[in-house]
Amino acid sequence: MKIENKFAKIYLDFNATTPLDSGLALKLPEFLQFWGNPSSIHWAGQGPKKVLRESRKAIAEALQVSPLELIFTSGGSEANNTVFQSVFEASRNSQRNEFITTAIEHPSVLKCLSHLQQLGAVVHVISVDRSGQLDWSHFEKVLSPKTALVSMMLANNETGLVLPIREIADRAHSLGAKMHTDAVQALGKIPVNLSDLDVDFASFSAHKFYSLKGCGVLFSKKGNELRPLIFGGGQERHRRGGTENTLGIWAFGYMASKASEIQKQAERISALRDRLETEIQNHIPQVTITHAHAPRLPNTSSLVLAGVDGETLLMSLDVKGFAVSTGAACSSGSPEPSPVLLSLGLSREEAQSSLRVSLGWSTTFEQIENFILTLKSVVERLRALQIQNSTGSRLEASR
Amino acid sequence: MSEKKPRVLVAMSGGVDSSVAAALLVDQGYDVIGATMQVWDYSSCDIEEGNGTCCSSLDVDDARSVADRLGIPFYVLNCEAKFKTAVIDPFLKAYLEGQTPLPCVNCNTYLKFDHLIRKMKELECDYLATGHYAQIVPNEKGEARIFTSTDDWKDQTYFLFTIEPEIVKHLLFPVGHLKKPEVRKIEKEKELVVAKKKDSQGICFVGNKGYGTFIEEQVDSKILAQRAGVIRRYPSGETMAEHAGIHHFTYGQSKGLGMSHHEKLFVIKIDPETNTVWVGDENYLYRSNVDVVDAHLIDQVEDGEILEVKIRYAHKGSKARVKKTEKGFHFEFLEPQRAVTPGQAAVMYRGRQLLGGGWITL
Repeated sequence: MKIENKFAKIYLDFNATTPLDSGLALKLPEFLQFWGNPSSIHWAGQGPKKVLRESRKAIAEALQVSPLELIFTSGGSEANNTVFQSVFEASRNSQRNEFITTAIEHPSVLKCLSHLQQLGAVVHVISVDRSGQLDWSHFEKVLSPKTALVSMMLANNETGLVLPIREIADRAHSLGAKMHTDAVQALGKIPVNLSDLDVDFASFSAHKFYSLKGCGVLFSKKGNELRPLIFGGGQERHRRGGTENTLGIWAFGYMASKASEIQKQAERISALRDRLETEIQNHIPQVTITHAHAPRLPNTSSLVLAGVDGETLLMSLDVKGFAVSTGAACSSGSPEPSPVLLSLGLSREEAQSSLRVSLGWSTTFEQIENFILTLKSVVERLRALQIQNSTGSRLEASR
Repeated sequence: MSEKKPRVLVAMSGGVDSSVAAALLVDQGYDVIGATMQVWDYSSCDIEEGNGTCCSSLDVDDARSVADRLGIPFYVLNCEAKFKTAVIDPFLKAYLEGQTPLPCVNCNTYLKFDHLIRKMKELECDYLATGHYAQIVPNEKGEARIFTSTDDWKDQTYFLFTIEPEIVKHLLFPVGHLKKPEVRKIEKEKELVVAKKKDSQGICFVGNKGYGTFIEEQVDSKILAQRAGVIRRYPSGETMAEHAGIHHFTYGQSKGLGMSHHEKLFVIKIDPETNTVWVGDENYLYRSNVDVVDAHLIDQVEDGEILEVKIRYAHKGSKARVKKTEKGFHFEFLEPQRAVTPGQAAVMYRGRQLLGGGWITL
C-alpha cells in the first residue's frame, strides 16, 4: 500500500469542525430566493419566515422537543453564555445562586463561569478522572438547595467521553436545580434525544453537524425564565435580538432532516475508530488511549504517544496531508498542553504527547489504513530522533 | 518520476529579509515550510508597540500572510519558555552585573540554530534557512563554512559565531549574497510584506520603550534599588553624582549620565561589586588587549595568528594577534580599541570567513 500521496488531503479533525454535507452544498443556491428579512410583513418576508419555521420544526423533531423551545443563536458559545448569564442574573439576589460544572468543559463554559465568579457567583468545578469517572462524591457534596444550575457537557471534544447526563439531571432536579448540557460535540455523532436526557437547557452548534459556521441553537425548556444576552428587535420571541442568520438556519434545518442517518453513521464510524485504535496499539509501542474504556463518542480517539511531541507530530502529519489535532482546535495556535487533559490527571508530558483523531461521515477505510501507516512511520522517525538528541538541546547541555 | 525536491524549513519573522528569503527558495524550486518562533507573551504587550520589531504578534500574522502568498505551509512554534530561559533571563542578569548583553547571539545559539535545527530534522527537512546577511561558502577542505555577506553594512555574521560547525552544511542564507536595496526591490516586486516596516534594529523584545524601561518592568524594584551607587571620576576617585542603578549605563556612554559637567565625560568602567560607575576622559576608553571566555570555533585558528576581530556589531573590525588561553582567547590589538565592553562578543575573521569568537570579560 502507498504510504503517502503528497496531494491527498485527509481530514481527521471532525471534532474541530465538519465539512459541508455534499447534498447541502448542492442545494445552497436554492437558498438565494430567501434573501428577505423574516420580520418583514410583505411578500419578501414570507419565504425566510418559512425557513425559520421549517428549520425550527425539523431541529425540534430531531431533538424530540417542541419548536418553541428552540432559540437560534450564533453558535454553541453564545448559547452557553446566554444560559449562564441569564441564570446568574435571575439568581444573584436569591438563596439559590450556585453553579456546578466539570473541569472538562469547553472554554465558553469555564471562562464564562469564571467571569461570573468574579462578579460574585459561587462555582463548583467537578473533576473527571483518567478512566472517565466523574467525581460523584464531590458532586453530591456540593449539590444542595443552593444550586441554581448544573452544567455538564454531553460529550467531551478532546477524548469523546460521554457523561451520564440523565443521571446527573435527575440528581440536580431532585434538589430543585436546573440542568444544562453543552451538547455541541454530540450532535451528529450520536442520536441526541432531549426528552430522554431531561435537561432544562442544551446548546448546539451547526458547524459540528456538516452545516455552516455562525449558527447554533439553544434549547430552553418551556416554563424556564430566560433573559436575552443580546437585546434587539424582538426576534426569537424576545429571547435573542438581531436579524436571524437565515442561511445558517436553513442549512441547519436541512441537516436536521437527515438526523436519522446519525445512528447508521455512528455504527460505521465506530468500527473504523476501533480498527484504528487496535492497529495503532498493535503496531506502535507505548501508546495509550485516554478514556478508552469509558462511554465515548464513536468517532473520537485521544492517543498518548509516549516520547513524541504532539506539536511536532501534528506538523509532520500536516505536511503529509493529514489534518488532526493535539487538543481543542482553538489551542492549535499556541501549543500549551491541554487544560482538559491535565485536569484528567495526565502529566504535562502525556498531555504534550497527545494526539486527537476524530472521524466523520466522509471518512473511509482507505483513509484510516493510510493514516495508520503514516502515523507509524512518523512516530518511529520522531522517536529515533528523540534518542539521537537524548543529550538534549544546547540550552540543557550548557547547564 | 521527478527527483524529490530538497525540503527547507525557513524561519520567518514577517520582515522583509526572511520573507524574501522564503520567496527566493520557492522560486528555486525547494519544498518550503515556513515557521515563526513565538518567543514572548504578547498578551502583556501593547499591540502598537511591537510594530517593526521581530517578535510582536502582528509580525506573526504578517509572517503567516507572507506564507499564504507563497502558498507554503506555515507553523507557529511556541518557544516562550525557552526564550525566557536562554535569552531574557541572561539579558537581565548581564545588565544587573554591569555588562552590556548581546541577546541576539543567545537567540541564535539556543533557538534559531538549535531548536529550529531540531524542528528541521523532525519535519524531514534537508535545510534550515534564515534571512541573515551571511553566506555559506566551502573552505579549502571543502567544508561548508560561514562567510560575510556581500553587503558589508548589513552583514550579520557577528551574531552567528556560536553556530556548531557540523550544522553549517544544513544552513541556507538566501539573501546573504544580496545587498539590502536589492532585497527591498525583490520584496516590492513580489509584493510580499503587507505592512510597511522599518528594519528590525535594536532588540526585538525591548521595542521602542528602551532597555531601561524593559528592565524596570521585568525586575523587582527592590533588586534594582540594590544596584544604585555613585558615579566617580576616573582615575581621581572624586564622587561626581549618585545613580539609580548600574543597569542604566554602558561602556563609552557620554549622554544621559545624570550629571552636569563642563567637559564631555564617558563611562570608562562599571564595577558591579561596589555599583560604582567610573567616568573620565575619552582616552581612558582605549585598550590594546582583551580576553574572551566561552569561546566557540567554527573553523581552525592558529595560535599567534593575526586576524580581524570585531568587538561589537557596528565595529568595522581591527587586526589583533590571537593567543589561545585556558578559557578562551587573548587578543592583542595592533591599534588600541575604544570602549571594549564586557557582555559583548569579540568575533574573529580571516578575510571574509567567520572563524568564531568569545565573550568579552575585563
